[in-house]
Order: sequence, then structure tokens, then C-alpha cells
Amino acid sequence: MNKKNPPETLVLGIDAGGTYTDGVLLEYNTHQIIATHKSLTTKRDFSIGIENVIKGIELEDPSAIQMVSISTTLATNAIAEGKGKRVALFLIGYDPDLINSFDMGKRFATPHYYYIDGGHDLHGQEKAHLDLPDLLDKTNTIKNKVDAIAVSSYFSPRNPEHEIRAQNAIASICGLPIVLGHQLSTALGSVERATTAALNASLLAVLQEFIIAVRRAMEHRGINAPLMVVRGDGTLMNDEFAARSPVETIHSGPAASAIGGRFLSGEDQALVLDVGGTTTDLALIKDGKVTISETGASVSDYQTSVKAANLFSIGLGGDSHITLDRDNKISIGPERVVPLAFLSLQYKNVQERLKALANQSWPPPYPRELEYWYLQREIPEQNNFTAGEREAIDILKTGPKPAIEVLKSLGFLDTSQVNLGNLWREEVIGKSGFTPTDILHVDGRHTPWDEEASKAAISVFSHYLKWDEDQFQLIFWENVTEIISKAVIHFLTEKEIPTRKDTNNELANWLMDNSFRPEHEQLATRIALKIPIIGIGAPAQVMLDAVARTFYTDLVLPPHYSVANAAGAVAGSVMVTEEILIYPHLSAGNVDVIGYYLQARDNRKEIEDLEAALTEAKKIAEDNALSAALRSGANNPEVIVEVIQDGMDSYRVKAQAVGKPRLEG
Amino acid sequence: MKMNKVDTKKAYQLLWEKITTLELAPGEILNIAALADELGFSQTAIQEALNLLVHDHLVEAPPRGLFVAGLQFSDLEKISTIRLNLETLAAQQAARNATKDDLVILKTLCNEIAGDTIELFELDQRFHQAIAKAAHNTYLADTLNRFYGLSKRLWFLALPYLDFLPSAVKSHINLSSAIREGNESLAMEIMQRHIEEFYLKIQQIIQDKKLILD
Repeated sequence: MNKKNPPETLVLGIDAGGTYTDGVLLEYNTHQIIATHKSLTTKRDFSIGIENVIKGIELEDPSAIQMVSISTTLATNAIAEGKGKRVALFLIGYDPDLINSFDMGKRFATPHYYYIDGGHDLHGQEKAHLDLPDLLDKTNTIKNKVDAIAVSSYFSPRNPEHEIRAQNAIASICGLPIVLGHQLSTALGSVERATTAALNASLLAVLQEFIIAVRRAMEHRGINAPLMVVRGDGTLMNDEFAARSPVETIHSGPAASAIGGRFLSGEDQALVLDVGGTTTDLALIKDGKVTISETGASVSDYQTSVKAANLFSIGLGGDSHITLDRDNKISIGPERVVPLAFLSLQYKNVQERLKALANQSWPPPYPRELEYWYLQREIPEQNNFTAGEREAIDILKTGPKPAIEVLKSLGFLDTSQVNLGNLWREEVIGKSGFTPTDILHVDGRHTPWDEEASKAAISVFSHYLKWDEDQFQLIFWENVTEIISKAVIHFLTEKEIPTRKDTNNELANWLMDNSFRPEHEQLATRIALKIPIIGIGAPAQVMLDAVARTFYTDLVLPPHYSVANAAGAVAGSVMVTEEILIYPHLSAGNVDVIGYYLQARDNRKEIEDLEAALTEAKKIAEDNALSAALRSGANNPEVIVEVIQDGMDSYRVKAQAVGKPRLEG
Repeated sequence: MKMNKVDTKKAYQLLWEKITTLELAPGEILNIAALADELGFSQTAIQEALNLLVHDHLVEAPPRGLFVAGLQFSDLEKISTIRLNLETLAAQQAARNATKDDLVILKTLCNEIAGDTIELFELDQRFHQAIAKAAHNTYLADTLNRFYGLSKRLWFLALPYLDFLPSAVKSHINLSSAIREGNESLAMEIMQRHIEEFYLKIQQIIQDKKLILD
């Protein structure tokens, strides 16, 4: 044994994405990747995919693992698919007329919201008395119909008294979990704070169940180590923090990808493009760090006040469904399907049927005949399937069938007529079709599965369009490059890309076209990226090569780039931010400043002199941040304190404690 | 004790509920691996949760094995003596210290209508917890809290033979108004009668039906 080698510090990073769950076993100090694993994500239960990764990663002695860290789209998915728990939201001191006149009610992420009298003003002074009897009456009417309660009071970051009193009272009459707005955000946007509280409440049980399942899977493999969860800004928190503020995990997947790309490539200035199965995500690395969004994270049209990486996502990935639109133009995504090459590997008759279809002269084969449905798991014993849904299951019991055949058997002509909602939602049946992954099988660049099926499919498409197959491929990849390139420009400029129909933007359109496909005889235009592109995800090399060329820059593919996202889950630091607000205490009639309030989470203090208040606030913020960082698993955290002027005579004292995660052993 | 662990906390809640409702019967052997499988937790979480329940006197840990604590008839008297004294103390302190918010909470609980006997018991428990909180003495509230689990087991034992107890609701209303008026001695008196009535009833049923053979 070589004694000069430091002892190995093994950490396991896991990224549970929309399509795949990736795992990376890494030596923490040398960044050396020791093992990787990929398994399919089970959307109905993310912990199944994670369990597969924990089981599948090759390691003789799993007990040597000193940390497990997970990034996951679980929260984002639960919100997008309405799988969060039911929430009642109490809005204390909010103006119903104002909310209604701007039609903001839809933004609260729950239909059960109630207005309660109370709230404070900008100066932290009580605007109206808290109507506790009304709050409790409303709690009583709704408590058996919801799973959690969220409370947001007007100007609660300035004075959370009403939120705290509400919590105390609600907890006395029912046992539901309660989330308070001021605990999640010190920002003053009242609608965003309410939305954040409601979303957090709806995700509490979802994340709790997830953590319990992951801990169990870890134990089954003998891993006894701290469990970390990645936040939307790429930093880490321990599982206990994550269970309390699940809303912070929104966008943790793409953030981890960006950090993983930086970590494995060592590039300090770069654009990160993560090509997944379902989406391609863009993030920017500046001075070695992932850039953070100015506004909070948003998901499914809900705007929150949670800090997240500056990200942009397009519905184009390796498994995006390729179809033809009404004008017979190639359309890619946003729906994700199982590539035909993969389906055909599992069911032999699919290849035969696809070949027969490709060779059929009359009636000419239609591209829509390439969509297959199949049973992807056992039928759950307890179900509330409709008669139509049960019939569809029976039809598919003998193997995958083209969708139009299933519809015909059910007596329908079109997918829009039939409702098989339960079967899709519970992932009982799956959809397969023609995808970019299939095209890679045809040209031989990436052939893990059955290329014969892919070849038959591309032949159906090309014949129908009366192109030859090479021409089809060329046009297809040009389309992909254009979609991604436009996304890059939109992401970096924050400007809308003109559509072709937008004739007012003739010059903009021409500039864009001529830069992507040089056509003009005299004028050459180019849009060049000053930084390299870091490619992440299995199809990155094939799909991004042309994008990099379009922008006259390099494509950097770090080692193990197909699982960089999982490496990013362990590469982040543990971070805790504590904010204290200081604002003036005004005399009656808001005339004189008679002192300063210092609002630190639930505690409030009055200090006469501003300088003394600032000194005190810095000390409290530093202490709180340090102890919270230690509790959430940071090793030797460092604290940076800054004072931000926040409006007239008001200050925000921010302490940020950052440290590498503390490893077991 | 690491009560902050997500899975331990949840496992504790689930097991507490199962033991206090007698779903896990007194004297039943607790197999950690089997419970972990059945409830979907890691064995560590189950182990830690059971340790906490040992603290609550709901689980017994002799040198070998773990089982649900047995129920002895003498427990009934011991528990009722402690509760009788602590609850009357809480009632007195609540009459002295209750805030406006506390009074609103008590009033809301009095107005609530229970649909069945189990709901009534839960409501009664909330009412007692609200009074303990209105006493504004953390140590008193914490101490009382530990007895709810033990009391609840005795109550569940008698449940099949219990009639709906509307008299409990009546004493809630009287107690609540005594606290509002700040009448300490009256609050103590009503509380004492309320608790005595409860334990007498339970005691009678347990004896008549021979639910515990000591």
C-alpha cells in the first residue's frame, strides 16, 4: 500500500431527473470518478429510481461512503403535475379588491385561500387587529379538506407577530402542518411570499416521504452517512432542512448540472448546456459560480421568492417526440417518449411491424402510425380505472400496439376523444415514438439499442415527406441546432426571438438567419460566444457540436459528461443565509424616528441608536448563520456579513455562512 | 435524542398512534425489522423511535427484546393522581395568565361539535392542551403532555363500552368561562370534577368488564 495516498473520501451524488436517475461515486478530494450508474426515473415514485442507483453503483464496501447528496426534480414535478398536497392559505391583511382587480388569485398555487383581517404596515406597525375568531372559524371549515396550512401576513418580514399568533391558534385546534411566510422569505413581495408559503406547505409531505424512502434504501446497502439535498441555487442543505423547506429544492436538478459541469471541466467562465431526455437546460458560469436569478424561482407559472440559479429550459431532449405538424413541418418535443429503438429491443414484434410498415406500398404509411402504446408495469390492484381504461389495458396485454390501432379498437379516431388520464398519470401505459435518439441509431453515432427499428421509422418519415433519408437527417439536425441556438441567444440577451411570421422584424430575422445559415453574397454576419460551451448529458456531444460551431466557440465535454449532473450534487457547498431587517420605529403620526426595530426571524428588539442597532444586527446575523450552517452539516463554515440599504432608513443585514459539507468518518 | 431526524420523527408519530390506540396491543413483542418493512422506514429510524417511546413509558426494553408496555390496573390510579393535580394547577394558572388569544382558542374549541366518541376524545385532549398552554408555564405543559399517551391507552381500552359523554362538553364550557373571568378557584374545582369523572368512569368499566386482570 502506498502510504503517501490520503485516505479515500467517497461521496455519492445522485440526480433524479425527469427521464433518468444518475449516480456518481466520487473521491471527494481528487475529484476522481470511481463508478457511475444510470437508471430510468419512475415519476410516480422518484425513490424507486434512486433505490436502483444506490443498489446498482459498484462498490465493495458501501459503508465507506461518507455523504450522499441528491438533486431532484421531485418538487418541480409535483407542482407541475398537481401532485402536491392540498393546502389552505390564510392571507392576513391582504386587500381582496386589489388581488381581484389584478386577477392575482390564480397565482397563489391553491384554490383554498381566505382573507383575514390584520397585518402590519411598512413600518412594522399593526395596520388592523388580527381577527382570530374568524381565522379559527375558517380553519374549522377547511381542516378536514386539506393536508396542510400556509399563513402569510401583510408585511410579515417587518413584523411576523400576526403569523406567529395565527400559527399558535391553528395548532391548538388541529394537527395539520403549518407554514409561515416570513420563515421562507424576507423579501417584501406579498403575493410571492404567499405563493412560496402555499407551495412549501403542499410539498412538505412529498419531500418527507422521499427522504424516508432514500434513508431506507441507503440502509439496505449499509450506507450510514449524512444525506444532503441540493437547493435551486446549487448549494446544499441537510435532509432535515430540506424536509422543512422543500420549496427550496425547485430547480435543484439544472443547478446541480451547471455546478457539475464547472466542477469536472474546471472552466470558470462558460455556458452550460445540459441535454437530458426531456429538456435541454441552460445555465451560466461566471467567475467559477453559477449565476443566480434576480427574481425568485418560478415553476408552472407560479412566481416564488425562493433563490434559484438563473436558468432557461426548452422542451427538447434526446427522447423528445418527433412528429409532423398540420403543415407537415417537423416538430420536436416538448413531449418525451420512449425511443422506438428501445421499445423494439424489449418487444421483438415491434421491429417486424415497423419493417412491414416501412415496406408497405398501399396505403402509404403515415408517420403517426409510429406512435406505440405499451403496458409498462403491473396493473395496480387498487385502482379507479374507467371501463374505457380497462379495455385499453386488455388490448395492450398482448404487447405494444400502434396508438391508432388502440383507438380504433376503442371506437375512436383521435387521441383527443379518449380519456385514459389515470393510465398515463399512474404510468400504467407508456408512449413510444420516433426520437432524436432513434436518428442517432440510424447514423450509427449512438447505438445501444435496436437500430433496425429506428431505420424503419426514418424511412416512413422520409418517404412521406418525399425526401431521401440523408436529406431528412440534415434538415432535422439543422432544426435542432437552430432551436438550441435561439435558446442560447434568448437566455443570454433576455430578448424575445422574433418569429418568422413577425414581419416587423425583417432585419432581426435576416440577421438571425444569415448568422445561422450564411446566404448573403456580400454581407457576413456572425453571433459569436466569447465563452466555451460545456456540454452535459448523454446526447451532448452529438447535439451540441453544431451549436458550438454556430457560435464560433469550443464545445467542452468534461470527463464523464453524461453524468456531470450527479457529480454536481456533491460538488456544492453547504450554505445558510440569515437576514435581519432594521427599520425605524416612528412616533405617532409617523413624524419622528424614536428608535430602530431589529427583526431577526421571530425575535424583535428595539434599539435607540442606528449604529448600535447595526452592530447588534451584524453580530446576531453572524451567530445565527454560523450555528444554522453547522446544524445543516457544514464543516468550518465561513461567514460573510453585508449591510444592504433597503429603502428609506431601512437596512437588511445579511450573513451568509458557507462551508464544504461535513463528511462522516 | 436526535428528534430532528426526519424519518425518526415520522416513525415516532406513527408508532405513538398505533400504541396509544391499542392497534399495537399491550405486551405485544416489537420486531424492528418487521416494523421497518411494514411501515417503509429504515430500521435505524424504527429503533430510534422505539427508544423515544421507552422514554414515554409506552414501550418496555428489558435486557432482551422490546415490547409494548403492559397495562396494570395500578397504572390507572397513578396516572389519575398525577393528572388530577397537574390539570387543576394548569386550570388555576390559566385563569390567572390566559391571554385574549388563549380565550379565543378555548371558545372555538367549546363551540366545536364532535361527530363521534373518538372525535370527542380528541377534542377533549385539545381542550386540555389549550389550557396547559394558557397557563404559560412550559414545564407544566411539557409534563402534562407526557401523560396524554398513557391516558389515551386506558381510554381506548374502555372505548367499546363508553357512552357519548355530553357532560364533558358542558364542563368545557363552564371551565372556559371560569378562566375568562379569572376565577381561579372555580376553574380548579371544575377541572377536578371533570378529571375525576373521567377516571371514575374508566375505572368502573375496566373493573366491570375485567379488561385488566391484575
